[in-house]
Amino acid sequence: MTRLAIKIVGAQGQGVNSVGEMCAKGLKRSGYCVFGYREYMSLIKGGHSSYQLDISAEDVRSSAVYVDIVVTFNHHGLEKNLRDLKQGGILLHQTPQWKFKNPDDQAFVTEQGIRVIELPTDAILQKLKAKPILGNVLITAAVWSLLGQPEEQLHELVREQFGHKKDLLDLNFACIAEGFAACKVIAPGITLSLPKSDPKWKDHLLLTGSQAMGLGIIHAGCRLYAGYPMTPSSPLLTFIADMQNKTGMVVKQAEDEITAAQMMVGAMHMGTRAVTATSGGGFDLMTETLSLTGVAEIPAVFILAQRPGPGTGLPTWTAQGDLLLVVGSGHGEFPRLVMAVSEARDCYDLLPEAFNYAEEFQIPVIVLTDKQTAEALFTQPAFDQASAKLKRGRLVTDPKELAQLQSADRYDPAASDGVSKRWLPGSAAATYCAQGYEHTPDGSFDETSENAQAQMAKRLKKMEALKAALPEPLYTGPKNPEILIVSWGSNRGVILDVLESDQCKKRSIGYLHYQYLWPLKTEVFEMLSRTARRTIFVECNHGGQLSSLLKLASGRDVTQKILKFDGRPFFYEELRGRIFEALSPLTPAPSPRGRGA
Amino acid sequence: MHDYASVNPCTWCDGCGDYGIWTAARRALVELQIAPWQVLLCYDVGCHGNMSDKIGGYRFHGLHGRVIPLAAGAALANPTIPVIAFGGDGASFSEGVGHLVHAVRSNYRMTFILHNNANYGLTTGQASALTWQDQKMNTSPNGIPETTLNSMDFVFSLKPTFVARGFGGDIAQMTKIFTAAIRHRGFAYVDMLQACPSYNKFATHEWLLEHCYDVHAEGHDPKDFEKARSLAVDTSQRVATGILYQTEDVPAFHERLKPRQGVTTTPVEEVKIVDTTQWLKTYM
Repeated sequence: MTRLAIKIVGAQGQGVNSVGEMCAKGLKRSGYCVFGYREYMSLIKGGHSSYQLDISAEDVRSSAVYVDIVVTFNHHGLEKNLRDLKQGGILLHQTPQWKFKNPDDQAFVTEQGIRVIELPTDAILQKLKAKPILGNVLITAAVWSLLGQPEEQLHELVREQFGHKKDLLDLNFACIAEGFAACKVIAPGITLSLPKSDPKWKDHLLLTGSQAMGLGIIHAGCRLYAGYPMTPSSPLLTFIADMQNKTGMVVKQAEDEITAAQMMVGAMHMGTRAVTATSGGGFDLMTETLSLTGVAEIPAVFILAQRPGPGTGLPTWTAQGDLLLVVGSGHGEFPRLVMAVSEARDCYDLLPEAFNYAEEFQIPVIVLTDKQTAEALFTQPAFDQASAKLKRGRLVTDPKELAQLQSADRYDPAASDGVSKRWLPGSAAATYCAQGYEHTPDGSFDETSENAQAQMAKRLKKMEALKAALPEPLYTGPKNPEILIVSWGSNRGVILDVLESDQCKKRSIGYLHYQYLWPLKTEVFEMLSRTARRTIFVECNHGGQLSSLLKLASGRDVTQKILKFDGRPFFYEELRGRIFEALSPLTPAPSPRGRGA
Repeated sequence: MHDYASVNPCTWCDGCGDYGIWTAARRALVELQIAPWQVLLCYDVGCHGNMSDKIGGYRFHGLHGRVIPLAAGAALANPTIPVIAFGGDGASFSEGVGHLVHAVRSNYRMTFILHNNANYGLTTGQASALTWQDQKMNTSPNGIPETTLNSMDFVFSLKPTFVARGFGGDIAQMTKIFTAAIRHRGFAYVDMLQACPSYNKFATHEWLLEHCYDVHAEGHDPKDFEKARSLAVDTSQRVATGILYQTEDVPAFHERLKPRQGVTTTPVEEVKIVDTTQWLKTYM
């Protein structure tokens, strides 16, 4: 499989994202699968940020360490990102009369055959009397020319964006023409040939995990969203807020995360579907509410977009360090479901499931995502609109059935799976108290030993029923793999890409992916792990948190771990190298960070 | 009243102001012809929260300090159901004070009834932000080193749309206030001064009886914001009670949401799987 990569770098606010997005959209429309990955800092202007696009005619779901083109908005990128280039790579910049000050850099350029190309952006913009913002279109046009793509495609993209403003549109067209013309002069004969395109990608969607998750929330019938801004959950709040005029959803930017969580719980109790999303410390603030939903048996959905902690940590980077937190958070013992999305498809398909499980089992559901999934750009087939079903469990709405209810049906401990009937305020029926104290079946206070035992047992019975109802983890690979890789969340994309690489394709490697993380299904894991020669966990945290949970749930502890905890996701060649490292002495490892695809 | 009866006996101390508020709340609901299944009563954690299983109606007994956002979320989900939140002065002016601020400025359609006994009763008599100066309290043997918060000055500074004050010994007046509060268009703030015979030795039932007076008997116009504020804030000689201020000119939060304008259903009725195809073109 051939894969190429372009990395656009510059200060925040310079247009890195717009160029990245425009290129991504154009490439997808030309028939390529694109995976976009952003790195940026916790500031608004300045710093050093990047937008990397990995491109292939086949599935691509990860970022490579080394890229074919670096496009830099400023001179910092010339030095900082030089070594991101593959041999023979192209360094496109716009710094007049640039000379490498560091002799090592110049030597690298010569040895690796890097082609350094200067686009005279300022001169062209002056000639066109265009504002600096048009530089984005100009630089996109230069990239387009280097990729050997037709000019007309860019016209279509800018027409969509500026079509309503004729003057601006003409200026954009002029920039595109100048960009192409300039490349003939500054980069004669230099093009990077893309593999043969595949028209199937044209019908795909190109969207971030946050956008997909927002659409998943809408799809699930959620009608109220309460949140407090915190990266990397904020793009979801922004998306939902921007969609409110179309969806009619009630959107509340709350005064804090406690409020957001409480509003979600109040709204769920009243009978709508509501959600809150947060990150890091914001989730810590929600945990008392989480515990309340456990005892009062209120369906609740919390989304936690992980970033590296502890403390404020690395706000704009990624991590999988909160798995043990969500499994154990909130005081006391209560049933809960923890699940994790991994890519755009999950973000959409699993959200109705999250609400369904919350309502069917009257429990809190925590959906884990992370900065990587939230902000990566995925090429995704049109969403499946037909599979999701509205499942509301033992919610009673039929007037006849309501009339027969008794208050004590609400928390009736006789329910064999622990799930008792639930009905909504405003229903013509016997009333009850949704109670945060330990309570009798109708929600009255009761501190007796018998009642405390009966109610605790009732609630925790739901965990067994829930475990039985959950689907098995997803397995990809041969029937009895020699090597079993186990992981969860956003690692899925890069793992699948690595397993499909030429180096791994011939090996007997299987991948077990966990979407549902607590309660844990262990049968498939145990079966595969028992016969595999190696079981390797891949996680973006320091402790190997899923491996700890699986050890707890299955008793099996014969595993290796590939861990990363620097705020970055696993990159393609990096993970491939680390898997081979982990397999030695089972096999001689190829160069672990070998260049090229 | 029978509809709102509970088989559970009350557990408050003799002489507790909660009895009066409990009685007036039920009376108001009956007077408004709201059946128990048509209302949601939300309780904070504190002595007043022990009402949660001594009354009919759908109820939710949540966390300490968090009753306002819980009730607000419920009210937003179904604006056709009256939502009444009950909270104490301990929770509402310390741990949950941020919620009060934003509920007033948000003007959610809900009633907030403050059980104001100027101390933390259920945790055995610690000082709250509203405890008077120089009062020996549990954990404050020398009186509080902080200043006492003037709760009315604070609330009026937030531009409320409904402010009333009552006294736990006057059930008739409380009933009148509650009925008006429940009918109010937005966020109704109802401060109920109540005795705490176990721990409050300063604003006792007798003191309240002596100092409270009905502003309506003296011709107060509840449309006059500045007058209402000055009457409410100054408690040095007498304590003004009744509906101090009300305006129906400010729309409630849900009425101000542009996407909800002209929508005749409630979010509770709108739960269904939604086909999102219509919004996907922009990602092609």
